[in-house]
Amino acid sequence: MSTLTDSRKRELRRELESIVGPGAVLSDPDELMVYESDGLTLFRALADFVVFPTSAQHVSAVVKLANRENLPFVARGAGTGLSGGCLPTEGGIVVSMMRMNRVLEVDYDNQIAVVEPGLVNLHLSWKVGPRGYYYAPDPSSQQACTIGGNIANNSGGPHTLKYGVTTNHVLGLEVVMPDGEIVWLGGKTREACGYDLAGVFVGSEGTFGIATRIVVRILRKPQAVKTVLAVFDAIDQASAAVSAIIARGLVPAAMEMIDQLTIQAVEDAFSCGYPRDADAALLIELDGLAVGMDVQAERIVEACRESGAREVRTARSEAERQLLWKGRKSAFGAYGRVSPAYMVMDGVIPRTKLPYVLRRVNEIVAASGLRVGNVFHAGDGNLHPNILYDPRKPGEEARVVAAGAEIMKVCADVGGSISGEHGIGLEKADFMPLIFSVADLALMQRLKSAFNPRGLCNPGKVFPTKKSCVEVGPVAYRPHAIEEKGLAQRF
Amino acid sequence: MPDALLQKLRTTVGAANVLTGVELSPYVVEGRTPEAAVFPGSIEEVAAVMVLASEVGSPVAPWGGGTAASVGMPAGRAGLVVVLSRLGRLLDHEPGDLTATVEAGMTVETFQAALGRRGQWLSLDPPDADRATVGGVLATNACGPRRHLYGTARDLLIGVTVVTADGSVVKGGGKVVKNVAGYDLPKLFIGSYGTLGVIVEATVKLRPLPEQEELVRVRFDRLKDAGAAVRAVAASDLIPNAVELLDGAAAVGAGLAAGSPPGGVLVVGFDGVREQVDWQRAELARLTGPLGGRDVRPLEAAAWSRLTPAARTAFPTPAATMALAVLPSQVAETMEQGAGIARGRGLSSAWAAHAGVGVVRGALASDPAPKDPAALAAVLAEWRELARAGGGHANLEWAPLAVKSQIAVWDDPGAAGRIMERIKAQLDPRNILNPGRFVAGI
Repeated sequence: MSTLTDSRKRELRRELESIVGPGAVLSDPDELMVYESDGLTLFRALADFVVFPTSAQHVSAVVKLANRENLPFVARGAGTGLSGGCLPTEGGIVVSMMRMNRVLEVDYDNQIAVVEPGLVNLHLSWKVGPRGYYYAPDPSSQQACTIGGNIANNSGGPHTLKYGVTTNHVLGLEVVMPDGEIVWLGGKTREACGYDLAGVFVGSEGTFGIATRIVVRILRKPQAVKTVLAVFDAIDQASAAVSAIIARGLVPAAMEMIDQLTIQAVEDAFSCGYPRDADAALLIELDGLAVGMDVQAERIVEACRESGAREVRTARSEAERQLLWKGRKSAFGAYGRVSPAYMVMDGVIPRTKLPYVLRRVNEIVAASGLRVGNVFHAGDGNLHPNILYDPRKPGEEARVVAAGAEIMKVCADVGGSISGEHGIGLEKADFMPLIFSVADLALMQRLKSAFNPRGLCNPGKVFPTKKSCVEVGPVAYRPHAIEEKGLAQRF
Repeated sequence: MPDALLQKLRTTVGAANVLTGVELSPYVVEGRTPEAAVFPGSIEEVAAVMVLASEVGSPVAPWGGGTAASVGMPAGRAGLVVVLSRLGRLLDHEPGDLTATVEAGMTVETFQAALGRRGQWLSLDPPDADRATVGGVLATNACGPRRHLYGTARDLLIGVTVVTADGSVVKGGGKVVKNVAGYDLPKLFIGSYGTLGVIVEATVKLRPLPEQEELVRVRFDRLKDAGAAVRAVAASDLIPNAVELLDGAAAVGAGLAAGSPPGGVLVVGFDGVREQVDWQRAELARLTGPLGGRDVRPLEAAAWSRLTPAARTAFPTPAATMALAVLPSQVAETMEQGAGIARGRGLSSAWAAHAGVGVVRGALASDPAPKDPAALAAVLAEWRELARAGGGHANLEWAPLAVKSQIAVWDDPGAAGRIMERIKAQLDPRNILNPGRFVAGI
């Protein structure tokens, strides 16, 4: 909660306005409510101020003010995060990057773009698309999420199987350090000068500073794309097909699995052409040179059939391909039709452990008296079990959280990770000891101290708290302010 | 070195695994002899050695294959060399997961051979693979031509275990190919030249071995035209795994051009299924012909390993070599201007580049040349300015100490250097890991 008196708050508001301009500061509790959570609405916290800078100098001045006042601060993009990573924890300042959303430069010769952090991910691909280029990292929220937010979480997406995650596409960043200094980490060239600070910054969940300019790689669009849908009567067969494809020496651009519950939800909502009675489907995409594509597609089909697929078909047109992808990318929205709420998990496991872990996930959720839909990046073992529940039913939310914890433990036990692309944030901070030792975490703390010695920059994230889980656990459900106003629904 | 410490080291790793005196000759760098070389046989032994060293504040130089031992400044004080060669096992390789975990002391060649037996490889091709170790390659961020498509260590290392200066065993990342839990410690240790910790174990992403692979050479009369061809390839539908540009001297030195030295040679690698390689070779000829490219022909597989060191190997004993990071579009111009700068001071130079990613290497001939270090340093300083003018930077890869004392080995990282110093102070507060070897005096 805020530590500021009302009069002090008014003074600081005036000072913030003198930095970012009138109309770029919020301090009315009604308006602040919009910023009290991200896509994971289990956690909420109210800031003292939300500010909307339009330059690195603005950000630097706001950060310096926060340092002077000893106020915590946190950068925020579109608020689509799923781990509570951009929540203010104890009052303080939310620095919204949404007005810094320009593409500053596109250098096609060198296949790089310089963008501001508030740029929506997909808008970059729109910008460079007419010249035959695109930005590869494609989180499912790419129509809304920002590149700055992607930097914080090192976001992935379906096509990261072949093209890598955000960090593989970032060459350099201009960063406002937690003390307000403006520093470049990396640059436009491919080699770091000294330690790879750009690499260390990406995925630091907003705890190392605030990026104000970002140099990213843009890629040439592939000459050809082929999308295959394989339908299975048993989810184990679909898991086996993933391994069979890898064993044939193929690395598709994407390899996504969708289970029965999800297929039915998607078909109810959008009619994308997935068979409703299938136990699981694999959406596999190949891209690259036109020549040789058919040979590789044939091998994929073969691997799926040998693993027991009852049907394997190739999208015959771009429209059909788009429809299949719509089914995949809208799955989260479709759950809204079958459940008032759901919680998405983000574990990663070695691919070969898929059949075992999927069975365990289904057992764990069933034992909690809940339902789960699975739609995930099978090719790189990044699971997204979506536990469906009704937040209005007493006790259900607690059972969801408990089941989620068990699933994370299963992922850790098979040598996996508790987060593949959503970040640790607040949500998973207390689960870090499942995969990291005291010494591992101590080294990470020392690294954090080098960037953020006073700890004012996005406090309370990533590291386990010393408090008990009861104190830091999720609060009871209540509708988000924007839901109440009918501006959004829970996905 | 106090006898007591030596005795403790012998007790820790076994007397046979501590070398002193004349046995230290392989570990002499720039004429400086360490006090002892220690060969720990396990991660626990590495940790115990680090505890002993930190107790007395003795400098420690982690040592893999020694192939990059002379990069950077030598330690001001003699100390321990910690050799990882006894940590040389492949711990885990699960082909279905496309991952492997390996101890740091295994050579790259041995590692690749083991992976290759199961149809996979680590898509990293640093020079000297027969001696360079996995840990050393990570610590120095070494790579080769195939980085064009497959990236560098930062794109492949998914987990790392490190022994820090105080003897803590710390791991970052994990064993899965996608992972955002915790800070990205693998990135921190890649290219840190042993200044933050001793890398003892690594988990990497693998790829299936390509069915076919081919290296294709195109000759040009003018380097400039070869540079235009690099841009044409980048803007085309081709998906090469290597795009290399060499000037005449480097091409002849690397055995890539017989007869009279060409103005420039473009070398492009392709992999995939047969028809993909064939189509791309034909397409390359079609693209480069109008730009002055001729004599398009496949090279033997042995040529791959000659590309990265091509500038250096153009001369029997080069006087110095520098690596310049520039924008890909500036590569040919950088090579031409760099050669002009050397010529202006009466020196010959040779140039080779991972052109598609903008990494350029220039080597200065030592013959016929003034051996005056000041003259060499002056040329190198101008080369560095050339890289900086285009927003890049340049580091000395090799030069005699007399030259290094006149021009900084590492380029200035600017304001980011202060963050680097703070990281070093946090992780190695007593400054015992390769002190003074790296950037910003770290």
